[in-house]
Amino acid sequence: MKTAKSTRRVRVGVIATVAAGSLLLASCSAGGGVSAEPVDLGSGPAVSGSVKANALKGQTLTFVSYGGIYQDGQVAAAIAPFGAASGAKILQDGPTDNAKLKAQVNSGNVTWDVVDTTNIFAAQHCGELFMPLDTSIVDTSKIPAGLLTDKCSVPAMSYGLVVMYNTKKYGANPPTSWADFYDTDKFPGKRGIQGNGDIDPGLFEGALLADGVSADSMYPIDDKRALKKMASIRKDMVFWSTGAQAQQLLEAGQVDMALLWSGRAYSAVKNGAAYAPMWNQWMPEADALAVPVGAKNPKASMAMINYYLGSEQQAKLTELTSYSPVNTDSKPKLDELAQSFVTTTPERVKDAFKLDNSWWAENHDEMVTAYTNWLAG
Amino acid sequence: MVTVQAPVAGSTTADRVIDQAAPSKRGGRLGLLAPAGLLLIVGLIVPLVIMLWYAFTDPSVGLGNFRWYLGDAVQQRILLRTFTTAVNVTVVCVLLGYPYAYAMVAAGPKLRAVLTLLVLVPFWTSLMVRTFAWVILLQDHGPVRTLLATLGLGEVQLIRTNLGVVIGMSQILLPFFVMPLYAVITNIDRRLILASSGLGAGPLTSFFRIWLPLSLPGVGAGSLIVFISSLGFYVTPALLGSPGNSLISQQIFTQVNGLLQWGRAGTMGVVLVVITFAILAILALVSRRSTRRIEGVRS
Repeated sequence: MKTAKSTRRVRVGVIATVAAGSLLLASCSAGGGVSAEPVDLGSGPAVSGSVKANALKGQTLTFVSYGGIYQDGQVAAAIAPFGAASGAKILQDGPTDNAKLKAQVNSGNVTWDVVDTTNIFAAQHCGELFMPLDTSIVDTSKIPAGLLTDKCSVPAMSYGLVVMYNTKKYGANPPTSWADFYDTDKFPGKRGIQGNGDIDPGLFEGALLADGVSADSMYPIDDKRALKKMASIRKDMVFWSTGAQAQQLLEAGQVDMALLWSGRAYSAVKNGAAYAPMWNQWMPEADALAVPVGAKNPKASMAMINYYLGSEQQAKLTELTSYSPVNTDSKPKLDELAQSFVTTTPERVKDAFKLDNSWWAENHDEMVTAYTNWLAG
Repeated sequence: MVTVQAPVAGSTTADRVIDQAAPSKRGGRLGLLAPAGLLLIVGLIVPLVIMLWYAFTDPSVGLGNFRWYLGDAVQQRILLRTFTTAVNVTVVCVLLGYPYAYAMVAAGPKLRAVLTLLVLVPFWTSLMVRTFAWVILLQDHGPVRTLLATLGLGEVQLIRTNLGVVIGMSQILLPFFVMPLYAVITNIDRRLILASSGLGAGPLTSFFRIWLPLSLPGVGAGSLIVFISSLGFYVTPALLGSPGNSLISQQIFTQVNGLLQWGRAGTMGVVLVVITFAILAILALVSRRSTRRIEGVRS
């Protein structure tokens, strides 16, 4: 009796599994194979910030970013005006999820047309998850030097990983180098640092600079040496896992120095946190815009990216989000505090450490594993 | 009010009723299971099969992912930490939940309504909200630390420690222990206690020899729900803990999202499921033996 019941149950289960599986497959394959509609973007070289009027009438494009005021700012400054100028209907999705993107590309059912992701992730998966950009559609001539990392993406904005210090505690004698950040004898106190299962370029570099490695001989990175340096102050480290948490550490005064993203640092200072940036050898970073492999209309996606890079669009984006513009002609109108956190001015660029993003694209996964193992062990 | 039916009580008689029903009726009853069954297949079985598939085939066919996982000392430590945390949370829930459920049964109707409400209000509150409340309570300059310092108990680090994680998870999971236990012990025939004292047993003897054994199915059901839920917690350990004491769910997230290593993530899921099933099997054996002993007492 019992066995008869269970074999039937198994049989029903197998049938249903097969049925559900084939349903899944059917829905996946239905999405693929849609051929791109012809797009006429006009003749002549591309000029960032412009699009041929009504060139994309009747088309729909989905823009994907990280949500919050950042995505709102992107849409208000560039994406919605692009829709109005080109005639394309704009949809939004978010937050960007690398796993979702991989699932879309693998199944051939790509619903995202332009994706905001990190520059390292874009470079790492160029050709595999993202397609090379056509420079006859995307004008990259106004992008600040050093921010273009690969053939598949352009920067979406720029910011940096910067050391912030408590001005009440260290105001008279502020830290001036990475060595000071790691010197808890000279600068006693807690250190806030990224610990969210990923690693940003710059974290290991900072530790190695503090340990006496010169900028010229930084790559390939000696992660063991970097982690050894970090271990020397581990008992004073406080790990943050989100940007909001990093900002909160400053606003609640829970750390005396922190390594965090400049946009979050600016927000904390604007909210009254008594901290100031140390710009010496800060680590420049950027989000990237890229087009997934299998996107339905790559030319239209690239036209959107080209429009996004315009100087006015970038100025407005900076005014709305405090992230720095990625067009050298851009002149955002900002108050003094916000202006002081812009990372693309000549004096900031002069102080920046020169990260090797191509090295990071190749070695990112190993570095993440080394860092997360160190954290968890 | 929500009642949670303990899976143990009365299940044997229900089976007997189904077995005695006519075959056609039985078919009809099985038909009633179809919607839930379909949901389970699409929402559980299919993803499990896909997970297994990835574990053995991504990036290449074979046992490479399992070799990596079982050979990685850090991953072993995290797996062990995950189970220790789940055990600790379960123990805390038993210690806090048992007296509470007992008080609910012993109380008069008004007090019982208040006690029930006190369990249900947190139960109805979103997990995110409760976790953030704990972040505020446990943080470095937060009220709990300040209170402990004022009482002269010293500077106890709470947030970003495993202790903080256990505190938060226990509070979140406590209703899942109290409710099944309450459902069981509210049905214990109290004349048995009267009878035992009539036969000369003191209150302690009555409790340990009559009440406690009869309440064990509730403890078992509640502990099981708490233990298994603990193994998969992600948000609470991520916010109350630190990367230095991360649990397996955070590691799976890194593999899925940060490294796009779905094969490794699938492997970690498979290992977790297998070990959990093994523990369940052992518990089922042990509890069947003890239930038999209780039934022996009854008859």
